[in-house]
Formats: sequence, C-alpha cells, structure tokens
Amino acid sequence: MSINAILALTLLVLIAGGFYVGRSRAMTASRGQIANLHSLPNYYGYFVATWTGLPAIIVLLMNAFFGQQLADRLTTAQLTSAARDMVSAYTVQLEDDASYQALLAAAAQQRSVADQLRSDINTLRRARGEARDPARLDMLRQDRLDRVNLLTATETSLENRRQQIASELLATADAETSDTARQSQAGFILATASASEAELFATDMRRIADGDLPSRDTPVLHSAAQLLVQTENGMMRILSVIVLALALGGFLMARQNVGSEFRARNNVEYLINTGLFLCSVIAILTTVGIVASLMFESVRFFSEVPLQEFLLGLQWSPQIAIRADQVGQSGAFGAVPLFAGTALITLIAMVVAIPIGLFAAIYLSEYAGPRFRQIAKPALEILAGIPTVVYGFFALLTVGPFIRGLFGALGFEDVVTQSALSAGLVMGVMIIPFISSLSDDVINSVPQSLRDGSYAMGATQSETIRQVVLPAALPGIVGAVLLAVSRAVGETMIVVMAAGQGANLTANPLEAVTTITVQIVMLLTGDQEFNSVKTLSAFALGLVLFIITLIMNIIALRVVQKYREKYD
Amino acid sequence: MSSITKTKLKVRDVNVFYGEKQALKNVNIDIADGSVTSFIGPSGCGKSTFLRCLNRMNDTIDEARVTGSIIMDEEEINDRRLDPVVLRARVGMVFQKPNPFPKSIFDNVAYGPRIHGLASTREELEEIVENSLVKAGLWNEVSDRLDDPGTSLSGGQQQRLVIARAIAVNPEVILMDEPCSALDPIATARIEELIDELRENYCIIIVTHSMQQAARVSQQTAFFHLGELVEVGPTETIFTNPRDQRTQDYIMGRFG
Repeated sequence: MSINAILALTLLVLIAGGFYVGRSRAMTASRGQIANLHSLPNYYGYFVATWTGLPAIIVLLMNAFFGQQLADRLTTAQLTSAARDMVSAYTVQLEDDASYQALLAAAAQQRSVADQLRSDINTLRRARGEARDPARLDMLRQDRLDRVNLLTATETSLENRRQQIASELLATADAETSDTARQSQAGFILATASASEAELFATDMRRIADGDLPSRDTPVLHSAAQLLVQTENGMMRILSVIVLALALGGFLMARQNVGSEFRARNNVEYLINTGLFLCSVIAILTTVGIVASLMFESVRFFSEVPLQEFLLGLQWSPQIAIRADQVGQSGAFGAVPLFAGTALITLIAMVVAIPIGLFAAIYLSEYAGPRFRQIAKPALEILAGIPTVVYGFFALLTVGPFIRGLFGALGFEDVVTQSALSAGLVMGVMIIPFISSLSDDVINSVPQSLRDGSYAMGATQSETIRQVVLPAALPGIVGAVLLAVSRAVGETMIVVMAAGQGANLTANPLEAVTTITVQIVMLLTGDQEFNSVKTLSAFALGLVLFIITLIMNIIALRVVQKYREKYD
Repeated sequence: MSSITKTKLKVRDVNVFYGEKQALKNVNIDIADGSVTSFIGPSGCGKSTFLRCLNRMNDTIDEARVTGSIIMDEEEINDRRLDPVVLRARVGMVFQKPNPFPKSIFDNVAYGPRIHGLASTREELEEIVENSLVKAGLWNEVSDRLDDPGTSLSGGQQQRLVIARAIAVNPEVILMDEPCSALDPIATARIEELIDELRENYCIIIVTHSMQQAARVSQQTAFFHLGELVEVGPTETIFTNPRDQRTQDYIMGRFG
C-alpha cells in the first residue's frame, strides 16, 4: 500500500475518532440530560471531526495541486547547483573561443539596425504601388530583405557554435559515471540547452521517475530521475508529518473546547455557511475570469487592429500570412458583415418565433382545455430539448434544399442551399418553445381578478385577452422576447451548418451569410497559432457577443423584475 | 318601504352545484329596486356564490351548475339562450380586491363604454367618464391626472375607480362582493357614503362580513348559512328581532 493511501486512511480514522470523541465528551458534560448542552451531541462530534479533518485535507489538496511542480523545481535547483563547476568551465571556454566571440560581435552589430530594415521593407512595399520605377524599389527592398536574412543566419551559427562547445564539454564529462557526476551533467544540460531541449529533458526526467515511457533514456536522465524520486519521497515524509500534526493539533484544540456551554451548533453552521459561500464565489469568479480573459485578449487584438476598423469596417477576411513577403499579408478585420449577418438571421428567427410562440402561449393559457394543455405543453417543451445540432442538419438537409427548390421555381436564380433564410427559419422554430413557455407563465400569472373584472363589465373572452390580459402581461412578454433574442444571437450550431461561411454584407435572406458565432468557430478550430491576430480576433468577437447578450439580459431581467413588483 | 318600491329581481328555487358539492340550496328571495340589499353569513355560506349567479359569473367556472329561476324585470336570466355578455352590461360588479386594469384612469372607466359602443364621439366618451367619476366621488381627486395608470391610486381610490368603471356602462344592478374588506376604516366610510348616494338610481346588492356595515348601508338583509338562505327581511328587523335562532346566534356573535 502506498504511503499516500496509508496517510488518507489514517486521516479518515482520525476524523471518525474525532466525531466519536467530541460526541461522547459532550454526552459526559451533559450529565445524562441532553437539554443541559447548548447543542445536540452530534454537533459536538461534527465540530471536532471538522477541526481534525479540514486543515489536514486543505494541506493535502494543496499538495495535490502544487506538489509535483514543487518537486520538479527543487530537483532542478539541486541539479543546477551540482553543475556549478561545469557551467563556469563552459563560460570560460565561451570567452576564450575566438569564432564564438566573432559571431557574437557580428550579431550585435546586425541586430542594431534590424528594426530600421524591417520598417524600410514595409515602407518600400507600400510605396511600390504609386512609384514611377517599381523595379528599383523592388531591388532596394530585396537588398533589405537579404540583410535581415543575414542576421537570422548569423544568429543560427552563433547558437550552433554555442551548442557545439556545450556538447564537447558534455562528451568529455561523460567518462565520469558516478551519481554526482551524472547529476552535475544533468544540471549542465538544463542550464545550457535551448529552452525546448531543457523542457524535453525535464519532461523525460519526470516520466522516468513516474515509471512512464520517456522519449529518450540515458544514464544522465536516470540519475536525474533518481534524484527527483528521492526529493519526492522526502517531501512525502514531511507532508505526512505536517498532515498528522495538523490533524492531531486540530483534534486536541477542538476537544478542549467541548463543554456544555460551548456553542457547537453555531460553529458548525458557520462552517457550512462558509462552504456555501465559497461555492457561490466559485461561480462568480469563473464568470469574472472568463470576462477578464476575453478583455485581455481583445485588448491585444485592438492594439494591432484599430477599434473603429473592427467595428465599422465592411470587409472580413481574417487571413494572415506566415512569411513577411507573402501576398495578402494583412487580413481585413471589419466585422460589420458579421454583425449584419447575425442581425439578419436573428430577425428572421424572431419573425418566425414571436408570433407563433406568443399565439401558442395565448391559446394554451386562455383557450385550451385541460386535456389538450396536458399534451401540448410538454410537447412544446420537448422542442426545446432537441439538440441544436439536430436542428442544424434539419436546416441543412431538409429546409435548405426546400427553399432552394421553392425560390428556384419562383424564378429566383442562384439560390443556394446554405442561406440566411433556412438558418433563420429553423432557429425560429427552435426558439418557439422559449417564447411560448415563458409567455405562458407570464399570462398565467396575470391575476384572475383582472379577468373577472373584465368579464363582469360584459367583455368577451377575446376582448379580455386583447385589452386586459396582454397589456398586463406585456412587460413579461417583452422580457421573454429579449431573452429569446439573446439566445438567437448566441446560437452557433444551426448557423454553422445552415447559413454558410461567406462574409457577405447583404440584406438578401437567400444569400449565404455568416455570424459572429460562426466566425469564432472557424477561427479557433483546426491548427492555429495562438498568438496571431487571426486567433485574437475571435476574442474580440466573443467580447462583442458577450456585451450584446449581456445588455439584452440586463434589459430583460429589469423588465421582468418591474413586472413582478407590480403583481406579487 | 319595500312595499312602495318595485321588485327588481325575483329568485325562485336556485340551487348551485360545484361538481358533486351543492353550494346553494333552494334560495328564494325578492330584491327591491332603488335600495341596498346586504347578504351576510359566515365564510363559505354561499353568499358570494349567489351573488355570482345574478350576473352569470359562475359561467366562467367550468364545473359550476346553476338550476332554478332568476327573473330580472320579467326576463329569465338563468337561461342558456341569454347572452351573459349582454346581461353583464346591465348588472355591474365590484370585487373584494380593487382590480383596476393595467391602463390609465381614463381608459379604465372608458373600458365598458368602448366595448359596448356607448359613445360615438370622443366628447361623449369624455362626458361618460367624467360623469362616472363624479358619481363615484373620485373626480376631484383624479381630474388632473386621468392619464396616470389606475394602479397608481391608493386602495380606496382604486375601489372607487372600479365602481366608476362599473357605473360607466349605466347598469341597472350593481353587485358588490365585500367591497371594503381590503380597505382601511376611512376608505371604507367613503365607499359606504358612496353606496348610500348610488342607492337612488341603482339596485345595489352587497356581500359583507361586517354586520355594522350591513346595518349602516342596507335596507334589506339576507342571512345565509351552510348554503341556505335562512332569513331575509328589513335590515332593522333582522338585527333587532330575528325570527330564526341561527340568525340571532350569528348576529350576537356566537359563531361565524
């Protein structure tokens, strides 16, 4: 059995013991009459058990989160300090190596002008369009490009020379096979290898220590891994001592407190309160964290693409070249076509969903007999339970071809399968249950006394609904509609499948359009370089989406709240 | 006094059933025009149920069934062939809790005249609204803010607004179901005064839990108990010299 399991088991036994001791001590203090105690005996048990277990469990959790990282750090530090002699020998050699020093000087000199060269290249390219003699500009630009490339070449050979010296040193040291020598070699690799090499070394070391399959297996790695295992074992021993000391200390302190006057119930309930509070804080912090990351990445995006270009630009083609001299190097990040596409599809969806949903709600709540209601209401709610991806292929495979056929027969040409209309129609169907279910609740909560008042005036049922019930329910219905709109704006799957991807700026529902959500999906799926403007633009789009839906939700909640105040 | 005024409503052998349960048993009563009749009795005795028979509001409850004969001015009310919408324009109703519609004060009062087409011009409508508000004693308080929502008024004002709404369609009978039970004593006194003023032109029937109120506003009182109409007579007689033991016990406060 591993030391971990033993520790956990011991802790559990201590907690159980704490409960028992706390309870029985309270029973003794009660002198046979439970009413003599401030709290019921079990609370004293919970109190002692909590103080026995909680601090120790917190330490164990922290170890679970940070223990491995700490062990890696400690081992690396130990290895590096073991390699101190080797590293200083290596530094001396670098200083004495004539070719290395020459390369170093050359690189420094070239680097000092590199920024100037890069900006020259951009200026020359921009000027080329209007120049009288583009060939000459091209020549000048080629010259600058060559000089930038030269710097890259110098830096590569500098790095090669450095690594050569390091590996020569390692090769001579390889003759020594003692553990300490191996460890100092490991430290030397970690200190002098390139960043990716060092990371690979550390990963392999961790793998060997854990008994997993490493990518390489050398004696040096083995002795480094051995040191890591030793460090971890040492940490485990210290951890065990700390955990047991905390458990025992907590147990003794809590036991000391138990007495007939002690308010165990208040204490335990306070702890439970704290736990509940933490849960709600986690939910809030997650939201804050997501918003913060959106903001942070968006700021990075807007430092490269100006805000007004993003919000007002009419062209969206987020292509970024990989090399500096590639064609179409800077993409266009005007998001207006996306906003327009989103608005168009949302509009179509609402035109479908609002009347149907609202009329369905009116029928269900005011006219339908109980038996029809019993069947229809759950049926409508099932509509809300269909996964959106199913709606998506319904739109793509059924509605899209139908619309193309219909409008083709009416004489429209070039109608495509993927159109704003088919996505909007299907999204409208998806949203019907939202509106009908929320409106139904709102209409039902209009007080019967209002209806009675209207009937007593000699109004018919439809007059009552039109003139009394609906005006009374209107704020709630508006709230439902706004919630539905924010749902439609954020809906992704249907539009990804059914609306196409072309960022067309059009009001024609028969054309393919694209929405904010679709573009986010397109930008972030597949292999992407995380730092490019293209990827960052997804965050800016996400932020816009978040702000739109946030505003909608705030208005909707306000409206609904106002309505509640009036009738409760 | 009741011998001079003519009978407005003649009720014979009315029974009301909610599903299997019988809520009213063989009620017989004559209600005089131009006077106030109050229905008293403990909760659940059927007085509100009976009130709702007089404007066919029990039709809105699916399982309610009313048998017997209710004749208003020679015309049988309790007849499926009679359109309740037409009847309710003649028999207005005021409820326990003030229930102004979510509209302006003006539109609340204009609601009935509009749906029944009582005014052909805006001026006529304004006149009807003003007259009704004056009759309900609310005009002075709201004349400068007719566009405010009806719900912005105080409870007592709302109840007078609802009364104004009811009299705007010029009904012959006004039914009031505990109209003061949600109001404070001052607002109650105001409504009682109003009832007294309206008496001359309407036949008013009021359900109340307050025996003092019945004594103050009504000329005729009917005592209901467990779905039966136990005793009916001039208010003074009922309160000073009741014939039935149950009436006496109730009035003396021995139950209910």
